[in-house]
Amino acid sequence: MTLEAFYNEIGSDYKAALTRMGNSEKMLGKFVRKFTADKSMSELNASFDGGDYPTAFRMAHTLKGLCANLGLDKLQHSSAELTEALRGGVVADNAAELLAQVRADYDMTVAALAQLDE
Amino acid sequence: MEKILIVDDSEMNREILTDMLADEYEIFEASNGNEAITILSEHNTDISLVLLDMVMPVMDGLEVLDIMNKNGWLADIPVIMISSDDSAEVTHKAYDLGVTEFIRRPFDSLIVQKRCRNVTSLYAKQKKLANLVADQIYEKEKNSRVMIEILAHTVEFRNGECGMHVVNVQTYTEILLRELARITDKYNLTEAEISLISNVSALHDIGKISIPDEVLNKPGRLTDEEFKIMKSHSAVGSQMLSELPFYRDEPIVKLAYSIARWHHERWDGRGYPDGLVGDDIPIGAQAVSLADVYDALTAERCYKKAFSHDTAIEMISKGECGQFNPLLITCMNNCAEEMRLVKEGNRLAVRGEDEIREFAHELLKSDAMYSSDRLLHLLEYEKMKNRFFEGITGGYSFEYNASSDMLTLSPNCAEVINADETIINPVHNETLMNVFGQKTLSDLSAKLRSMSSEQPIVQFYVHQLITVKPGEEKPVQSFRITDTAEEHRRYPADTQCSTYKLVCRTTWTLEEPQRYTGVIGKLVPMGNSYGFMKGSENNDFRSLL
Repeated sequence: MTLEAFYNEIGSDYKAALTRMGNSEKMLGKFVRKFTADKSMSELNASFDGGDYPTAFRMAHTLKGLCANLGLDKLQHSSAELTEALRGGVVADNAAELLAQVRADYDMTVAALAQLDE
Repeated sequence: MEKILIVDDSEMNREILTDMLADEYEIFEASNGNEAITILSEHNTDISLVLLDMVMPVMDGLEVLDIMNKNGWLADIPVIMISSDDSAEVTHKAYDLGVTEFIRRPFDSLIVQKRCRNVTSLYAKQKKLANLVADQIYEKEKNSRVMIEILAHTVEFRNGECGMHVVNVQTYTEILLRELARITDKYNLTEAEISLISNVSALHDIGKISIPDEVLNKPGRLTDEEFKIMKSHSAVGSQMLSELPFYRDEPIVKLAYSIARWHHERWDGRGYPDGLVGDDIPIGAQAVSLADVYDALTAERCYKKAFSHDTAIEMISKGECGQFNPLLITCMNNCAEEMRLVKEGNRLAVRGEDEIREFAHELLKSDAMYSSDRLLHLLEYEKMKNRFFEGITGGYSFEYNASSDMLTLSPNCAEVINADETIINPVHNETLMNVFGQKTLSDLSAKLRSMSSEQPIVQFYVHQLITVKPGEEKPVQSFRITDTAEEHRRYPADTQCSTYKLVCRTTWTLEEPQRYTGVIGKLVPMGNSYGFMKGSENNDFRSLL
């Protein structure tokens, strides 16, 4: 799968992401391929399950920022909602549901990444 | 290449920014606020720009800004805040704390590059401009000083004097006015006015050019008629200035007029030529008048021998040379030692280049916490020197700055207790609390704050206890801090104790009321090789070196 096909697959705006990286497909490709190595998703899971909500907030926030930079629109959207649900040390009632959505979007993104050409 | 510090907790975010900026800048990275502060305190204004994330572990962006503010770094290092948080609250707070610009997530490479370039070039231009202005002020001041001095020496040359009188009066005037500005704000003296008055003081005797040689240089006592002629020099000098074809309305000429005319007036109205009383005599003329008398008394003249410094001070205080403003008498007594050093030629009388540069910086930034490049370079040099000596002499050292509540440990010191080199709010720092205990830390802090600038040095003993528990591989390390060496204290057989002498020098503000500004300290091992220090209870730091 090409990089453009990957963005189409996960329902995200390839052109916008490319423009932000100075139209460098190489640079965008490099960072997208590194996405799975980023720890924020696993740390978000661990801290949320362990009841450490301040850390969970920070991790959701980091994940959101990272997705914004890479143009992973869906995951950015769901992690942004989760971030707000965890902001200021108050845990919103629907936080667990929002986290489930983040996990689903993350898995979908990683699955699509696996099909990306080397 | 200019240096940029990128502070963001996400490694990938840092990498993306690095990729966008690496062509133009040398990049430093920090993953939290603490690391950022450590890098900043090492590199200082060498860093041209900080890109700062807000939400971070350990220390967040707002705290970093707060510390940068307290250390006066924000005046020289611009900060661009990275934020996806559009809320007005955070934005306002960041602007309040001194952020220059914002970069929003998602990063756009062109915007990131342009914004960084704009901010760094603006700051670079401002710095260049500041130095340019300083150079020009220096040149200008130097030129006019040279002209004034040539003129003044021409007058003195006729007097057969070596020319030190003019220079000395300038210096005494400056000393007296500085002290006056320190003890009272009655006269609203600014640094610029003090400098102008002392420069112009060189012209106080300009009227002597009209006094005939035989009166001016008469070895013996003057007749009443001759004395009258001699006294005319102040009125004549002021007349010369008021009849200048040009510039007669310039402040400097008006000032020169008042000093030439009234530097023989006295506080009680018994001076000449106008018999002005008290503060009707301009303060500049009052100061020059006292400076003139002190220098005349302590110098040898064709008609008299020199009095000693002490005698001169006493004669002036007792009113034997006429009455002066009591505040100026206080200033003279406060600064007597400094004046004596000038008289004996031990203090450079002429205003140095450094002082002028500082003055220029003062003009450019009315902010009191300015830090010129020059000062920072000096500081860097001192730090380098310290590190060098430390490398040679061994021991562990630290530095605490009270205004930023920041403790800096020498690298070996940080290593031994396994702490960061830079620690904010050390009394409540977790690592330090684990190592020394909360009570020890607060006792130590209280003891240091109870010292004073008269007695700034205090010493303690630090005992490093290493215990090897049977069955446990790793030895357990703990520390105790005490007031005495406890040489005879016995420890269990499995515990080994190394004692260090901890010498602390507290630092205080110069101006009253004195405030505690921090402490520098050093830990010196008291093992056998340092045996000569054992039992030395002398509080003097020198005994340790």
